[in-house]
Amino acid sequence: MISASNAALHTAAEYLALVAGGEFVSLEVDGVIYVLPKNTQQISTILEYATKNGLTVDPRGGGTKQRWGGGTAPHIRLCLSRLNRVLDHSWQDLTCTVQAGCTWSSLQQNLAKHGQFVALDPLFGDRGTVGGILATNDSGALRHRYGSLRDLVIGMTLVLPDGTIARTGGRVVKNVAGYDLCKLLTGSMGTLAIITEANFRLHPLPQYSRTFTVTASNAARLASLLAAIRGSHLLVQSLQLRRHKTDARLEICLSSDTAACQDALLEEMVRVEGLALIEADGASCLEREALFADGSTVIRVSTLPTNTCAFADELQRVFPKIDVVSISQGIGLHDVSLRGSPNEIMIAISQMRAEQKTAATVLHCGPGVTVPAFTVPTPVMSVMQAIKRNFDPKGVLGPGKFFANA
Amino acid sequence: MNSQFTPAVLSELRQIVGQRGLITAANQLQTYECDGLTAFRVPPAAVVLPESTEQVQKILRVCHRERIPFVARGSGTGLSGGALPTEGSIVISLSRMNRILNIDIPNQQIVVQPGVINSNVTAAVSPQGYFYAPDPSSQTVCSIGGNIAENAGGAHCLKYGFTVTHVLEMTVVLPDGDIVTLGSKLPNAAGYDLAGVFIGSEGTLGVATEMTLRIMRKPETVQVILAAFNTISDAAQSVSDVIASGQLPAAMEIMDRLSIEAAELSVHPNYPACEALLLIELDGPQAEVDLQMAVVIDICKKNGAWETRLAVDENARFLVWKGRKAAFAAAGRLSPNYIVQDGVIPRTALPVVLEKLNAMAAAENLRVTNVFHAGDGNLHPIILYDRSNPGEEERAIDLSLRILDICVEAGGSITGEHGVGREKQCSMSYMFADPDLETMQRLRRAFDPLNLSNPDKLFPTPRFCGERSRGAYAPHPLETSGIAEVF
Repeated sequence: MISASNAALHTAAEYLALVAGGEFVSLEVDGVIYVLPKNTQQISTILEYATKNGLTVDPRGGGTKQRWGGGTAPHIRLCLSRLNRVLDHSWQDLTCTVQAGCTWSSLQQNLAKHGQFVALDPLFGDRGTVGGILATNDSGALRHRYGSLRDLVIGMTLVLPDGTIARTGGRVVKNVAGYDLCKLLTGSMGTLAIITEANFRLHPLPQYSRTFTVTASNAARLASLLAAIRGSHLLVQSLQLRRHKTDARLEICLSSDTAACQDALLEEMVRVEGLALIEADGASCLEREALFADGSTVIRVSTLPTNTCAFADELQRVFPKIDVVSISQGIGLHDVSLRGSPNEIMIAISQMRAEQKTAATVLHCGPGVTVPAFTVPTPVMSVMQAIKRNFDPKGVLGPGKFFANA
Repeated sequence: MNSQFTPAVLSELRQIVGQRGLITAANQLQTYECDGLTAFRVPPAAVVLPESTEQVQKILRVCHRERIPFVARGSGTGLSGGALPTEGSIVISLSRMNRILNIDIPNQQIVVQPGVINSNVTAAVSPQGYFYAPDPSSQTVCSIGGNIAENAGGAHCLKYGFTVTHVLEMTVVLPDGDIVTLGSKLPNAAGYDLAGVFIGSEGTLGVATEMTLRIMRKPETVQVILAAFNTISDAAQSVSDVIASGQLPAAMEIMDRLSIEAAELSVHPNYPACEALLLIELDGPQAEVDLQMAVVIDICKKNGAWETRLAVDENARFLVWKGRKAAFAAAGRLSPNYIVQDGVIPRTALPVVLEKLNAMAAAENLRVTNVFHAGDGNLHPIILYDRSNPGEEERAIDLSLRILDICVEAGGSITGEHGVGREKQCSMSYMFADPDLETMQRLRRAFDPLNLSNPDKLFPTPRFCGERSRGAYAPHPLETSGIAEVF
């Protein structure tokens, strides 16, 4: 971490007050300056100042995923909460433009007026912001049908650490002009540039939705049903598996017109497996947020789709000393909550990483748990570090974040 | 010939790929001097035809050591000059790396080499009821490696997305010869999304030598409706109304009168003679599609469609699409020469942009015919002209440039699927400001600090953009022979 004297921080706070207005700047007791700029231009001015004066900056949206990707406290916490407007909703073009500090739920409420949405259900959408969700590349159960953020974001406005304001992509869905930097920025944890605006492609809200559950004593018992659903013609909106100590539950959301009678088809598939289908009264995405409760360490693990059930069972078998709850998407993406001694948790994570067939990213570390956010082979890491150097040569953004030893 | 290109280097390349894998004879090099944009031609210093990732690695190590630029090439069907050699460069043709390596139906994945032809991917998994979604109309000849370079689209990307949506993992040889795996066969890859930025980078970040693609379950049923309108605006309004009704069709296409006439002359699809033809394809579960089609037909009729024709069986659908896909090559029946453009606009700007476009064409006394992917606002205006009339070609080129400008002004893009390449590199500075382009260069330098991988493409350069000009479209030999269509 770059050290800055108290005097330097006071000078910085005074300068930032000139830029953003005194009421929008505060130097807190933890020695971090909180600044709430009004627009992209102010963010550019602040970043340029930070770069020139050797200060580090970490952007903040709703603060719900601030610790994702690790990192240390910055000198300046750049809060985007004043950039909170939906700038445009071209509903006939199925696109929208929104400022990065707008909360996810506020954006969705706006879009719903025309029966549309960004087809993503991230964690903590009531407080989480567009910028934070993009930076952390979060996704939920809807990913099964609509893909992840990289398939939904079509343009961005960025501010680089040296103050450069750049636009990438555009307002049209089909566009291959130049590099698609939206892909690079999505999931970059705020380490390359600060996202101030984003354009999304939209989808019509599903007109029908029915949720069903199937319960069994373990996930293996549900594996062939899950495979059958994946290979079927059912219009499946989401397909989630929740596994904890005593049971496994598969949740299926169908979005087909009731006249198409897909629920009967599903019921038959379940019956063939000797299981029972129960209709639920709504989707249960709230349970995924519960994974983060009580100081849990949460990791996101990828497996092949066919290993979804086996992996969920294995988690319970292999780590008996840890309290494990997992919510898996049928595509092979698992959010896993680990509670227990920090040492056991760290051993468990490195054990999973050692198995080449899974990739584990740490989303949130519980107390006493210190592990790198992710690991990749050296040549790939070299490219990522070169990108970081070219975008942020002085290491201003996201200090200590993402790269364990950058 | 480039000064670095010594006999010793040639012999080293020969050792890597063997005598059969190296082309240096001038008459054979001619094959590689252009791609589908035939107006631009540069003979390469040599062509190598590697057969493995390891050979590509060795070739790039030599290029890196000797500072020799290289251009990777698939089938050479690109329309923007992406595979056009750079002076003194070698061309790395990947056509011999054309094997399908693994098919994994339960995980809905297939592993292929870059020279595999697009439609062969679907053919390989079709018996099991699966397909590969990106379908550029050159799909019977274009390669997966080229599709990745250009982030290829097609008529059905409205619903299914582009190549980038369907590539899970790639083995890539970086410009310094290092081999990396970008993306993952698993749903999440750690760190920056390098696969996402590599796809569509037009060969400027390295060479992909193996790729895992997502395959999808074939829809239970497919239905196509043809609707005839008196004006393009009525057809365009129907497209907007379909979107507003909450449907997401697999494809929505509009053809104007001239292109309908051309298609009739060429492949006789028996289209209704009208000012604007709207073609909408729906797919999915049978019962669902039946319900949606009723809504779509109703919308078309409300907007003044005087004929709606439903194509349900495979033969009828084939004929409908054959006419649509032949419309471009068929422009040759209307005029001795033509230029095709690839602008994108927000769908709602269509009536305004078309009006401007027609006024501009009238002022130049040139005919322009239009075929477009109406669902996603991707226009393919075809400017008809006769090269033998003095000055007409220059006016046609100028008009095609100005059409791109009005697309940008309407909030759109200079290219929806053909790429920037050499053709549109000077238009990049109309769409993007200098800081935007400089930010892209930061990414490029991270992958290729020596600027060896397909240099002189994608970005405006003083050398090529001092005088802003662009070549006329000349049909690719594959196209004139009827093997491939272009959009």
